[in-house]
Amino acid sequence: MEKVIEIMNLTKSYGNGRGIYDLNLDIYKGDIFGFLGPNGAGKTTAMKIMTGLIRPEQGDVRILGHSVTEEYEKAMAKVGCLIEIAESYHYLSAFDNLRQLARYYPGVDHKRIDEVLELTGMLKFKHEKSKKFSLGMKQRLGLAAAVLSRPQVVILDEPLNGLDVEGMIDIRKMIQHLAEKEQTTFFISSHLIHDVELTCNRIGVIYNGKILNVENTQTILKNYATLENYFVSEVERNGRVSSSAS
Amino acid sequence: MAVFQAALLNELEKLYKKKKVLVAILLSLAVIVIGQLVIVGVRSGFGLRGTGSVEFPMLVLSVVVNTILPLFTALVAIDSFSGEFTQNSMRITLTRPVSRFKIYTAKITSIVLFILGALLLLLVFSLLAGFIFNTNSATLDSLGRTVFSYFVSLLPLTVLALAIALLANIFKSGIAVFFVSILTFLALKVLGVLFSQYSSLFLTTQLDWYNLFLVNSFPILKILRQFLIMLGSGIMLFTAGFYIFDKKEF
Repeated sequence: MEKVIEIMNLTKSYGNGRGIYDLNLDIYKGDIFGFLGPNGAGKTTAMKIMTGLIRPEQGDVRILGHSVTEEYEKAMAKVGCLIEIAESYHYLSAFDNLRQLARYYPGVDHKRIDEVLELTGMLKFKHEKSKKFSLGMKQRLGLAAAVLSRPQVVILDEPLNGLDVEGMIDIRKMIQHLAEKEQTTFFISSHLIHDVELTCNRIGVIYNGKILNVENTQTILKNYATLENYFVSEVERNGRVSSSAS
Repeated sequence: MAVFQAALLNELEKLYKKKKVLVAILLSLAVIVIGQLVIVGVRSGFGLRGTGSVEFPMLVLSVVVNTILPLFTALVAIDSFSGEFTQNSMRITLTRPVSRFKIYTAKITSIVLFILGALLLLLVFSLLAGFIFNTNSATLDSLGRTVFSYFVSLLPLTVLALAIALLANIFKSGIAVFFVSILTFLALKVLGVLFSQYSSLFLTTQLDWYNLFLVNSFPILKILRQFLIMLGSGIMLFTAGFYIFDKKEF
């Protein structure tokens, strides 16, 4: 299988002792990879390095064969991402926000902007300035921005933050549709474990900055009743003693 | 190059959509209108001559180059960097296929284009006001010198923009950058008076360097020296600012 994302010996530590240590991970084409871990485990740190927002102390990330630290433009050419909170220029309309991003991709025209606004249910707010948007609407706009360029790889950090139930279902369908029809590879972190179970086909568990295990969702569900049970068992096996779900 | 153009276009669109351009136009017009009113008042009230048609734009330049233009430069530069750092909107651009060098250069270029626009606007309006209200003493030579003076003022203002961009990358808060910029500006003004023999090294003195081009003897060596000082400090400020921007974590 074709490797789309290669995370190699990634290390980044912070003064408070948190960070990630010697992280290794391969993501293959068509994967919807769920990145699970408790708060402060290092999910966002890893994703920030993957998208060039911070630099690793050691190691590297290659996306579609290009190093993020050395060939940033090439590495990010076919990547869409949403890291932490969906940011937008509050003084610009939804359309203008996306048009700003569209300028970096030769094949993205106004029609495509309308398409992604429709896909995320934001078309009716096309000309409204984003400062008037609710958290959920901002998140939808952020997701529209992430898939705008028809990327081959999409990196999403907590994509369901602030979304209502209907929004969560819409986004889950959108992710599955893109993975099936366009072979888009997804790398998703979320604390909503039930949603990860429904959306992702491979799961990686990170704890204290280290990868504990990577497994297919189907295999996990054969051995455990729910993904939550698997997660708790993995974390407990590695030293954390607290659970109400096991 | 296409990526840089996209980044530059985005920066210019952001400037324009934030209504900064409108504020700049209004303030520039206000300066010209007030200046012209003062001159008309002096002429009719005290019977003094005031200024001629081409002298008025020079009078405007001597005032704005030390007041509203550095202020505009500071506001736009601080907004472009500190504003986006604090709102986290810098991430929007940083996670696109564009290098940090191109983003930094596009931001600086858009600030320089903004200053150029402000200078051109002031030139056109002050020339118009000068011709309408003071109908004497216009020669082609003096007109050429006036236009040239406005254009060469872009260089020290660009160095100023680079200095403020550096400060904006050092300090987190935009307000801190603004205060440090103003204090440094004032300190350099005072130092320029106290140590006048070294004043040509200070940015605040260089803002008035257009005067060198108005001297009849045309001091070419002095102009060259000033140019090289500004070029050198500009390169150093750009490099230092970009170095910090490139290392920044978001």
